[in-house]
Order: sequence, then structure tokens, then C-alpha cells
Amino acid sequence: MQITFWGVRGSYPVPGAATVRYGGQTSCVEARSAKGDCVIVDAGTGMRALGNKLLRESMGPRQYHVLLSHVHWDHIQGLPFFSPAYVPGTKIAIHALLTAADELQQVIGGITRHEFFPMPLEAVPATFDYHQVEPGVEFDLGAFHVTPIALNHPFGSVGYRIDCDGSSWAYVSDTAPFDRVLHKQHFLSGPEPLSDDDKTSLGTMREALVAKLRGVDTVVYDTHFLPDEYARFPHYGHSTPDQALDICAEANVRRLVLYHHAPSHGDEQMDQIAATYLAKGEAAGVEVLTSFEGMTLPIGTADPPERTNPGIGPA
Amino acid sequence: MKIRFWGVRGSFAMSGRDFLRYGGNTTSVELLTDAGERLLIDLGTGATELGKQLMAAEFGKGQGKLPILLTHTHLDHIQGLPFFTPFFIKGNEIRILGADPNSGLSLEATLQNQLAPHYSPLNGLENLAAGVSIETVRPPAKISLPGFEVTTMAVPHGSMFTTAYRITADGKTVTYLSDVEYPDLDAPPAEVLALARGADLLIHDAMHADHDYDLRRGWGHSPARAGVVVAERAGAKKLALFHHSPDATDVMIDEVVERTSARTAVPVFAAAEGSYLDV
Repeated sequence: MQITFWGVRGSYPVPGAATVRYGGQTSCVEARSAKGDCVIVDAGTGMRALGNKLLRESMGPRQYHVLLSHVHWDHIQGLPFFSPAYVPGTKIAIHALLTAADELQQVIGGITRHEFFPMPLEAVPATFDYHQVEPGVEFDLGAFHVTPIALNHPFGSVGYRIDCDGSSWAYVSDTAPFDRVLHKQHFLSGPEPLSDDDKTSLGTMREALVAKLRGVDTVVYDTHFLPDEYARFPHYGHSTPDQALDICAEANVRRLVLYHHAPSHGDEQMDQIAATYLAKGEAAGVEVLTSFEGMTLPIGTADPPERTNPGIGPA
Repeated sequence: MKIRFWGVRGSFAMSGRDFLRYGGNTTSVELLTDAGERLLIDLGTGATELGKQLMAAEFGKGQGKLPILLTHTHLDHIQGLPFFTPFFIKGNEIRILGADPNSGLSLEATLQNQLAPHYSPLNGLENLAAGVSIETVRPPAKISLPGFEVTTMAVPHGSMFTTAYRITADGKTVTYLSDVEYPDLDAPPAEVLALARGADLLIHDAMHADHDYDLRRGWGHSPARAGVVVAERAGAKKLALFHHSPDATDVMIDEVVERTSARTAVPVFAAAEGSYLDV
């Protein structure tokens, strides 16, 4: 199995000179099994380039599976620009966390409603179907075995552990840490006091996450914030590399990949973050890599990442 | 009057080396009078960078006032809204003006949908700390804003309409015709010509290279030559090609400018992110 990063940015796409090397597009990762099965995790703006690549590989209609962590814009905005959707006969299965599959259809359909995008979803040639995921309820997609994991993010979010070809990786984004803030179904203008029940919920969520990540080869984690940024915005629903490293070290994860980079973190700062946390990871016994657009990572081997384009990536 | 393009890209924000000179951000354009009054058109990703810079002055102190004109609510024209920092400072007064989309929903309801809890942790316009008013414009209404006189016009964009603007300040006029496609390129509607009549700067949709247009007719966007026809017939003094295709690299845009310039006496340039230009 291997994974390729098509979008590594959080919140919104960031064009310009400062994001040339790490990339400016939002969340989208492609996993490939050894025999070529494909699953797409999140449908941020990175999905446009992925779609173009998939069509270059095969012009005919195919079945695609898309696992969504949640449906904030930066995780779904690429969907209307996914070119295979315009090939008649294409089937796109959307898997997401929501209380009702009906509602999911409305939310995804809403992306392309007349006001936001010229073509309504019903007019797109591909057929879409919707599957509700539930934390802890595992399922199979072709060669992939998928385990959804509850995360701590405004209005809910879900991570995925994906096992295939005798190895595993996990996608843990978007999530806040599990101590100061419990995200629920309402808007937070700042941290709210935690009740005893809240603390129990956070503890349970963290415990389940560590249990599911135990022994996973590679964990891709929401590390949007540096510690000083997190201190100012603890209620935004994102983590720091330190918090990710704690979880991964505790779960005996081999390799942590920093992901969902803040829009304000330009290439030079990303180089510093990469170097700082590579060293911190060594001290904690976890290899820490920093994701960039076009990075392909073999899972379950010690092979180094490959770069799609030699000019893209860390200095 | 000065103008600054913060986002010039259509449909989709493009990052990477091939998009550095013209810029990859989706549409957002700032106008500034000699007296310092400010007006913004559209809230694509380009608006996020302007928002950060505005924070250094009165907007950071909650004393900023800004009118924003929206052409329509396709995502590339509003996706910067949740990340425009002046919205998060109490005391700022921001007016968003635009036509109701022709979907039956009001402009306000549409922007509320954009910030609905599924899509955005902001969970509604009411959670923006600034004073925000959403004001429905009914083209061809005229609007008076501090420092600016604005004429509005509904123009065809595929199966819907967008709002075009003619904006006058300091004795200069800018006409903004983005996201538009005329049924007959060689005969733009009379009201469009009236909107661009004698403009010092015409900003025009040029999503498609002329040779690509036949494949994309009816999608709601113009080829570069459509702006030339409007500029020549309306006597506009300068033409800015705008709303560049996400597939158009810097080199490709250079070629479009070269070919377009060769066919008209009107000075032509491709809008690019960058510095303030005198109108």
C-alpha cells in the first residue's frame, strides 16, 4: 500500500510564492493497494489534481470511494472539480459521519446547489451514493479494511485507520487535543468550562484513538497549529505536532506525518517545523515526516518518500 | 482612484510555480479613492490576504468600515468570506451588497448556508463579531457608497445572471464585467455597452483563450476577444483580462495578452495580483 498527498493545507487554498514547495491545496489523500485499488480520503481542493491524474490513468468509468473526515469546506470543496465525475458511468460512493444518510445527500448536494456552483449535483453524469460511517463500526472497501475513529472537532469529525496489504495507516484530521475543549454541536467563541461528563468524554475519545492507532505504521495527523498558536485558539478544533507526537508515541506508531498545515505557514517556516519535529520525534522514538503536495509514501516499509516533482517538497 | 487585484483567478484557486506572476487566488478586487475610501468587489480567496493587511490599521482596532459588492455567490467569489479577518473584530462595520441569486433564496440566506454548521465552524453570520449587514441590490439600481457612485446591471452567466458594476470615483470610472457570456460575442447587449461607456478601465471575464472557446460555449464565461469587442464599442480606455482559467499558466496568459493586443488598439493587460495601480 502507498499513500499520496494531493492537498496538505488546512482551512483554505493558499496560492503564491510562499507555498510553492509544500503546496497550497486543501486536504486530500489517495491510498493505493498493491494491486491498484484506490480509496480517497477527504475531498479538499487537492482532489482536482487527483481527478485529472486518475482520468489520465483510465478514461473509462470507474467506482470511486471517498471517505470524508467531516464536511467543512476545506474537506469537500474539490468534489465539483473532480473530473471523473463528469464521465458517464462513474460511480462515487461517499462515506461520512452524519446522523442520517439522507441529510448527507443534502449536504453534499448543497455544495453544488445553484448558488455555489453552476451545475447541480443531479446534473453531474456520475452517480453518487452515500454511506454513513459510525466510529468503531468497521467495514471493507475492496482490499481496504476501514476503521472509523471519533475525533474532537466542531460538530464532529472522524478519523480512519486503513489496513491493507499486511500494513496500516491512519488519517487523524481534523481534531483538537483531548484535554481543554470538548467540541459539541454548537458554536464556541472560546473555551467553555468542562463538566465531569465532558472530561470523561474526552478521556474516552482519547483512549479509543490510542487503542485504534496502536501499532499502526503511519499516522497522518492534523497539526495545524504551533504551540503558541494553539494557546490563542484552543477552541478552533486543531492540534499541534507535540500533541500528535504524544498520541503516536503512546500508541507505538512507527511514523507520524504532519498534515493540515495552517494557511499562514509558508515554505521556510514549514522547513523549520519539519526539522524541529524530526528531532523531537527521534527523541520520542517516532519518525516524523512533514507532508507536502505530491509526496508518495510507501506504507509498511522503510523506503523513503517519493516526490512526484523534484522541485516540490522540503528544501 | 487606485485599484489592486487581490485575486484574478476564476473557478478554482491555483497554487504552484506556474501561477506566480498573475497569481492563483480567486477573485477579489479593491478600489481606493484619493481620500482613502475603500470598496471591495467579491470575496474569493484573494480577500484573505487583503483582510490580514487591513488588520494593521483601523480594522484591527474595530474601527474599519467597508462595503463589499458581490457579483454572485458561486464559491470562487465568496470562499474567502469565512477567512476575512476584519469580520472577527467587534466594531468593524462591513456591508455586503449583491443581488439575490436566481435560486429563490435571498443573498442573506445563501451566505447563511455557506456558514451552516456542516460547512463551517462559524455556524452562521450572527457569529461574526463585526457588524455585518447583507443588503440586497436589485439591478439596474444605482448605489451611492462613501466616495463611490455605483451602477449595477444584471448580465447573463450560463443559466443565471451575475451583477456587473460601473464604479465612479475621483472622476474616474471602472467597469467590472466578470462571469459573463453574451449570446452573441460580436453584438454585446446595449446595456452592457452603456455600463462600459467611456470607462477608464474595463475589467472583463477572459476565462477562455479564444481557441478554446468553442468547446466551452454556454458555460457562462467569455473568451478574451469578448472583452475587446465591448471595450472597442463602448470606447473604454483600457482593458484588463480577468477571471483567468485555473488551467492557464503564466506563460499561457502571456500568450493570450500578446494575441489579444495584436487585434485591437485598446491597451490590454492581464489582471495580476500585486500592487496598487492608478486608474
